[in-house]
Amino acid sequence: MASFAAVCRATARLSSNPAVGARGLYICAAFTSSSRCLAAQNFTMPALSPTMTEGNIAAWNVKEGDSFSAGDVLLEIETDKATMDVEAQEDGVMFKILSQGGAKGVQVGTRIAVVAEPGDDLSSLEVPAEEKASQPAESASKGGAAASQASNSGSSQSKSSAVNTSGGGSYVHKLPLLPSTGHLAAQKGLSEEDLSKIKPTGPNGRLLKGDVLAFLGTIDAETPATISSRFEKLGHLDLSNIKVAAPKKTEEPAKKEAAPAPKAPVIENLEINVPVSLSKVVEVQNKINETLGVFLPLSTFISRAADVANSDLPPASRQPTADELFDQVLGLDKVKAAKGTRGVYLPQISAITPSSFVSAPSKKSDIIDILTAKPKKQASPPVIPTVPGLSSGANVFSLVVPKAEGERAQVFLERCKAILEEEPGRLVL
Amino acid sequence: MLASRLIPRYTVRPVVAKSTLPKVVSAPALSQWSRAYSASSDEKDLVIIGGGVAGYVAAIKAGQEGLKVACIEKRGVLGGTCLNVGCIPSKSLLNNSHLYHQILHDTKNRGIEVGDVKLNLANLMKAKETSVSGLTKGIEFLFKKNGVEYIKGEGSFVNEHEIKVALNEGGETSVKGKNILIATGSEATPFPGLEIDEKRVITSTGALSLEKIPESMLVIGGGIIGLEMASVWSRLGTKVTVVEFLGQIGGPGMDTEVSKTIQKLLKKQGLDFKLNTKVLSGDASGEKVQLTVDSVKGGKEETLDAETVLVAIGRRPYTAGLGLENIGLETDERGRVIIDSEYRTKHPHIRSVGDVTFGPMLAHKAEEEAVAAIEHIKKGHGHVNYAAIPSVMYTHPEVAWVGQSEQDLKNQNIPYRVGTFPFSANSRAKTNLDTDGLVKMLADPETDRLLGVHIVGPNAGEMIAEGTLALEYGASSEDIARTCHAHPTLAEAFKEAAMATHGKAIHF
Ligand SMILES: Cc1cc2nc3c(=O)[nH]c(=O)nc-3n(C[C@H](O)[C@H](O)[C@H](O)COP(=O)(O)OP(=O)(O)OC[C@H]3O[C@@H](n4cnc5c(N)ncnc54)[C@H](O)[C@@H]3O)c2cc1C
Repeated sequence: MASFAAVCRATARLSSNPAVGARGLYICAAFTSSSRCLAAQNFTMPALSPTMTEGNIAAWNVKEGDSFSAGDVLLEIETDKATMDVEAQEDGVMFKILSQGGAKGVQVGTRIAVVAEPGDDLSSLEVPAEEKASQPAESASKGGAAASQASNSGSSQSKSSAVNTSGGGSYVHKLPLLPSTGHLAAQKGLSEEDLSKIKPTGPNGRLLKGDVLAFLGTIDAETPATISSRFEKLGHLDLSNIKVAAPKKTEEPAKKEAAPAPKAPVIENLEINVPVSLSKVVEVQNKINETLGVFLPLSTFISRAADVANSDLPPASRQPTADELFDQVLGLDKVKAAKGTRGVYLPQISAITPSSFVSAPSKKSDIIDILTAKPKKQASPPVIPTVPGLSSGANVFSLVVPKAEGERAQVFLERCKAILEEEPGRLVL
Repeated sequence: MLASRLIPRYTVRPVVAKSTLPKVVSAPALSQWSRAYSASSDEKDLVIIGGGVAGYVAAIKAGQEGLKVACIEKRGVLGGTCLNVGCIPSKSLLNNSHLYHQILHDTKNRGIEVGDVKLNLANLMKAKETSVSGLTKGIEFLFKKNGVEYIKGEGSFVNEHEIKVALNEGGETSVKGKNILIATGSEATPFPGLEIDEKRVITSTGALSLEKIPESMLVIGGGIIGLEMASVWSRLGTKVTVVEFLGQIGGPGMDTEVSKTIQKLLKKQGLDFKLNTKVLSGDASGEKVQLTVDSVKGGKEETLDAETVLVAIGRRPYTAGLGLENIGLETDERGRVIIDSEYRTKHPHIRSVGDVTFGPMLAHKAEEEAVAAIEHIKKGHGHVNYAAIPSVMYTHPEVAWVGQSEQDLKNQNIPYRVGTFPFSANSRAKTNLDTDGLVKMLADPETDRLLGVHIVGPNAGEMIAEGTLALEYGASSEDIARTCHAHPTLAEAFKEAAMATHGKAIHF
């Protein structure tokens, strides 16, 4: 019935990954149109690739009330692979934006906006009920959306709450419920209707004990989703930061099959140490404890400092990529100046001790490198006797990184030092 | 960096035809995935290089899906490392050496008196070979059953669609494939300066077929493979010393508490450990093989010697002779074939799975990926959940785990709750007189969702399946505790550990 733009287009902007480039032709997404509402239609998070399960909304290019025409970029979506523009295929009006720019980890199929047809009177439009929020990304990408629409079509349409994505959904849960979930529901006297309001965060949309606990207010409402996104990440191979092997200089002469000549990978690692005093942190810690009665562990300060220090680090020195070379050819490199990127460093911390017979082993280097005992003693920095663990006074923060990342890691550690030694209070305010 | 692999720069602006179906996947996209698969006679839908777990599983699955598929293997037998010189023969030796060891040391207290016990090493090896050849022939049968063409020879890329095969029986042939799967596996990483002869300086391959029981053995590397082989020969009478660089055995993935427990138990069985010790150099010129080692912290250099040295410092991807350079495919610094999340190399019709690419080098991981890769080719979607891949060490007792370890969680500042249950409080373990070890569970303190399971104990490798299933379904420890477990079984320890995680165990 609804004739509005059933389709929008996604454009791989920075084809930053073969997955995107090669799959580019398949990319398409849909305004899932509602058959219940003539004018306004739900716009759900599109799947920009077959494997995409969630994405971040980088920014909306339209505001509520804006009209747009076919071809206009409505929003930018970030996935782990690339940032893509989503274009409108037909003209329309943005009625409501439900997931704002900056929203992270939005599941495919979750409603992110409501759009109307050109000329619609927005003041009299109704927001349609959300159609398929409970649909897990995986089955959605297999075309399961139709099924879920059907199964939900009986649910009544609640006007006001539907705007709030978190509060208004109606979910059909997989049965049987997990033993813990069923038990908790019975114990707390939750009706089937109550349960249908709980958003499931388990694999394939399964309702978990934590979801019910969050619904009951026993635990933080966000915790189940946070844990699920962690599992989602662990569920994939980490293919970030792949370092291509340097091209072999000389072709080794034909060798025996059984024992090919060793080509042990040579990764030159660099250890960077920065002394950091935590005395200021301890001061703040005590002050907070005295005034607020809250004891914040040192690790909280350190992880927050690391979090801040990781933002916008200078890129590792490296060969330009093909994309960058291409940009140079086109003269675009000046426009897109190399931007800093977020790091993922966590400092190794050891306390400085007066006794010198123990020293913290610097882990993390490749075991093969170490077993083969490559002479890596390149002008080793003065050895400070340390023990693993934290001291409330002087500590050494260290990182072992590939050589190319030396500057990046140094900046990170210096920032940690500055934050922790100068204004640690700001980390927890 | 991956970005640089992508040379063509498309600006893709597909105009997709309107349709009334929910357009999660467009119709043109679907037809692209399953494009015409019945083309000319000599071009295959899929050519697989390597007949190991990754390759043979992919071949059978592809055959079942109706693809025209050929699998190239140079070893002369199918099954790869796992069946021929890995998982299977090692488990044969582990099982039978354990029996022998038990008969020697663990019968009297059970009221069994045995007379003269003798070991026949040649027959022990024969039992192993019988198991291996039964299984590899089984795969060959499955190839026939599923219409997989088996080409015996070494494959190398001529171009992006053509593979030249140097046949084992002499001569050469070539095959073309619309899709190609690189599944060439891995090989033992050699130790620079020590030449492997598989007699005195051996890898796991040599350790699986020694002709006599060495008096002494030094094992470089206390990971899973090193410890399994160390166990075998120690049970048969060899004096074994394991030299490990890290501060714990079992590799960095093993939970530290579990690692300490198994180290104590293995030590009781007679293995010696030198942790935090690096091997500086080796010398095999003398009567015994010598290793110079030093403490990781430095300053305690010493020389160790033994009749045999087992190099078990890890495995590396194997792509020698494959001709990757002919099609411009690069590997990463560790020699792994570079792929994307759908196992595609930069040539999208060439994929790679198993040990030769990223992820843990495990047979069941290779198998899962093989199936997923075929599903990608045939159906456009496949999935492996890397968050729920179990690891098992088949020593006695066994060690098994799935999910995150306590040190993982600590390092990432993730809150957790721990529940443990010792086998010494489990009735079946007690009746079996086999009570060493424990089950340890880690769960989120708020939601109780299971984060990891770590077991050291009898049958841990079988029991971990329950933990993997629980993780796969997002279970809480309470879900496990509320599931009935038969009595008396070792699995009850699993249930009680779950009870201890969110509440209290009954029997401890
Ligand atoms: C001693 C030992 C014990 C192990 N125990 C376990 C265990 O208990 N559990 C577990 O999960 N894993 C275990 N593993 C690991 C397991 O063996 C590997 O993860 C698994 O074999 C990987 O399978 P794959 O198919 O990727 O590679 P492989 O099994 O290595 O197979 C690759 C095959 O490709 C062939 N090949 C290579 N190049 C070419 C070419 N150019 N042309 C034709 N053929 C080629 C090779 O001959 C080989 O047969 C063990 C490994 C070892 C060494």
